[in-house]
Amino acid sequence: MRALVVGGGLVGSTLAARLARDQHDVVIVESDRERLQGLAEDLDVQVVPGNGTSVEVLRSAGIGECDALFACTASDEANMVVALVGSALFKVPRVVARLRDREHEASFRAIAQQLPGEHVCINPDQAAVEKIMSLLPVPGATDVMTFLDGRLIIAGFPIPTGSDFEGLLLSHLRLLFPSPPVLAVAIRRGDQSFVPHGEDEFRAGDLAYFAVDPRELENVLKLLGVRRGSEERVMIAGASRIGLEVAHRLEAANVDVTLFEDDVRVAEEAAAQLKRTVVVRALATDREVLEEEGIQRASAFIACTDDNSLNVMAALLARRLGAARAFSLVDNPALTRLVGELGIDAVISPRLLTVGLAVQFVRRGRVRAAAALMEDLVELMEIEVESGSRLVGPPLAQLGLPRGTLVAALLRGRSVIVPGGAERILVGDRALLITTTSRAGELDDFVGGK
Amino acid sequence: MNRRFDLHVLGWLLLLTSALLLVPLAFAIAFHDAPGPFLGALLLAALAGGGLVFMTRTRERGLRARDGFLVVSGAWLITSVVGALPYLLAGVLGPVDALFESVSGFTTTGSTVIADVTGLPRSLLLWRAMTQWLGGMGIILFSIAILPLLGIGGMQLFKAEVPGPVADKVRPRLAATARTLWGLYVGFTVAQWVLLMLCGLDWFEALCHAFTTLATGGFSTRNGSVGEFGSPAVEWVVIVFMLVAGINFVLHYKLLVGRWRDVLRDVELRYFLAVVSTAVALLLVVLWDSGGNVHETVRAAVFQAVSIITTTGYVSADFERWPHAAQFFLVALMFFGGMSGSTGGGPKSLRIVLALRSLRATVHRFIHPHAVVPVKYHGQVVGDEVLSGVTAFLTAYALLAGAAAAVVAAAGYDFTTAVSAALTAIGNVGPGLGAVGAMDNFAHFPALVKLVLSACMLLGRLEIFTILVLCSRQFWKH
Repeated sequence: MRALVVGGGLVGSTLAARLARDQHDVVIVESDRERLQGLAEDLDVQVVPGNGTSVEVLRSAGIGECDALFACTASDEANMVVALVGSALFKVPRVVARLRDREHEASFRAIAQQLPGEHVCINPDQAAVEKIMSLLPVPGATDVMTFLDGRLIIAGFPIPTGSDFEGLLLSHLRLLFPSPPVLAVAIRRGDQSFVPHGEDEFRAGDLAYFAVDPRELENVLKLLGVRRGSEERVMIAGASRIGLEVAHRLEAANVDVTLFEDDVRVAEEAAAQLKRTVVVRALATDREVLEEEGIQRASAFIACTDDNSLNVMAALLARRLGAARAFSLVDNPALTRLVGELGIDAVISPRLLTVGLAVQFVRRGRVRAAAALMEDLVELMEIEVESGSRLVGPPLAQLGLPRGTLVAALLRGRSVIVPGGAERILVGDRALLITTTSRAGELDDFVGGK
Repeated sequence: MNRRFDLHVLGWLLLLTSALLLVPLAFAIAFHDAPGPFLGALLLAALAGGGLVFMTRTRERGLRARDGFLVVSGAWLITSVVGALPYLLAGVLGPVDALFESVSGFTTTGSTVIADVTGLPRSLLLWRAMTQWLGGMGIILFSIAILPLLGIGGMQLFKAEVPGPVADKVRPRLAATARTLWGLYVGFTVAQWVLLMLCGLDWFEALCHAFTTLATGGFSTRNGSVGEFGSPAVEWVVIVFMLVAGINFVLHYKLLVGRWRDVLRDVELRYFLAVVSTAVALLLVVLWDSGGNVHETVRAAVFQAVSIITTTGYVSADFERWPHAAQFFLVALMFFGGMSGSTGGGPKSLRIVLALRSLRATVHRFIHPHAVVPVKYHGQVVGDEVLSGVTAFLTAYALLAGAAAAVVAAAGYDFTTAVSAALTAIGNVGPGLGAVGAMDNFAHFPALVKLVLSACMLLGRLEIFTILVLCSRQFWKH
């Protein structure tokens, strides 16, 4: 596939790196000279200097031949122009626009309807909100995703010292949870991330991703030693778009919310919009105010100001002051990993979430959902199995899947099956596959079949 | 820096070189030449390469800018050594001479230490031409095209080998870019081969000359170079293909895919062609009185001007019998060289264009002290890092040429010989003036001079910095 990425910022460059790694031909349009140079050096992509809103520049970047167009500059307006030019003038079959503003999104959708090809807008803030909202109901989790129409949760938990999981062989999970089963799908141990098999064992300090039936979640939590608080009290630092949206949603769910915002005007505006939320005018790192508002009893603290480092500091402080969990918004990839080690429960990167969604959109075949774990080292994808796919037929053990690949679950009709080696995949099943990212390309070919 | 992986890559390159030796080996068997020299070189390279690859297996595969310099310099050095083995094993040349001939080959210089090339076995002549052909488009680029190993971090290698201040990709993926460029190169070579055969050359000489023309190399199968064929048609064909080789291959690609507008607008191309025409015009003015018929004079002027500016170094007439002014023009052309992204040597037209524009901007700033005067190229502002890179390159180029000339002079040679030998080596041209003129060779130089000139050729081909950074102590820290 030939992909054109307009805008070489964090989203654009991460996206380009992902696409290039998956053996696609990538061209990036970027106007900043220094950034261009970095892109040309670090990635196996072609860089075209210039403003992506110019038809001339797009043409010279080969928009006519491209199969997918990604508009991900920092400006909504520019992205709309790029995406619409791509659709209307050049009939690009798949177009992704990154839009942060809801109004822009609505206008874009309205216009795009009239145009040929597939379109999608991705809102990084919205993606972050969804991520936060999926994390909140699962205490102790560092990451939560749902697959197979909500019938399967993939959640990452750190394995604490002294928990029942420490030293447990993976194959013994089946004894603990006979039905519905629980499966460990990925483990990060120190610097290594891998898709484990039955002879591996859990160790204290691992970050383990489990595929869990929602009904079995409470038992897993119990075994991990995670206790669910009696009441939900969420504190949010920063009345950013994300902070406000989360507050709105939590209000609707009858959760007590306290929102900290330093800027008077922004705080007043937030207080006017929200109903029950307590809006406090204070810096997110103001220890006294945090204590005054009862941080020690908070079930979660979410730092989502526009300042990455402030978010990290605030989240660390909240954790120290007794908040049960602390999440932090961090868009700087260099910080992300580090922060996890510092003891913040979950790090949310709106821009990386955007990249994930964009890649998912252009995945070939019948990929229903896809996600990446552990800084992109492990990949999950949910696919619909069609006739002619190489997955159909022989039992799993004899299928010859690429190494490090796991069929985690199948959705057949309405029931979720965690397949053993003797299970066969049938046409019409939905399969959740897990693989290390270095082999994702191989798996793509495998799944694509034909 | 990932030295283990660097060595691993070098091991693969050795294996690749040994595989390339299969070609002359096959020819040697077909021509009933002694296959021993090629077989020996092949086995040595294969053993060394295989051992290196085996000993340095590693999971960490990634190349940073520093690795790029090390790998590219190392690759050129070891292929030069391997390339020298057949001459040595055949007993044709001693160790220093063999290395000089091999370096002169791979760097597409074309200076020779062999007085009588017609006495060489044909398979060795083919290998000699082939070294130039491989070095022309670049052995690293060749490896990128066929070794998937270099996919990651290949850009660092690409940048360190491709001539010119900025490296351009024609395709989104590096391996595809490398294949496209090599594809064009092979296409042109075949075209010239066929045309030369149509002009009456036998297939072998036609092939060797096609190899050394497209590479802007200049090795010939005759002692008197292309001039010895005495065929105007052959000379015109060679002129056309020397020009083709001196032009940026990215432009050839654009022409091929129908983007001729970009080609017509290309500033460097216009400049390059302007320099060629000016040089031809000046030569004609000087040569006009020398007698002989008009067609011959024009042909000789065009041939020699194109041969020197593209740094091919073929000779069609003994230009040392030309008036001094004409000889001066020819040496002056060595300061220009081919276009960036071509197979030619020299400082490259683009650098000269940028240097001139930067000079103009400086003058402008003297007149308007407060003016903002950016240097532009194709309507885009050229960054300071590029401009200072150009200045640094030209400075280093001049200093290096001066130092090399001093060494030659110290060995007891006259000024003309010393300066032209240094310039021809660093510019990868081939012939010089004086004792290394059109009809002479480099055999009479002492061993030290030959080694210094070999080093100059490598520095010139890799555009100085790639090798120069290795001499910095900073580089080896960490």
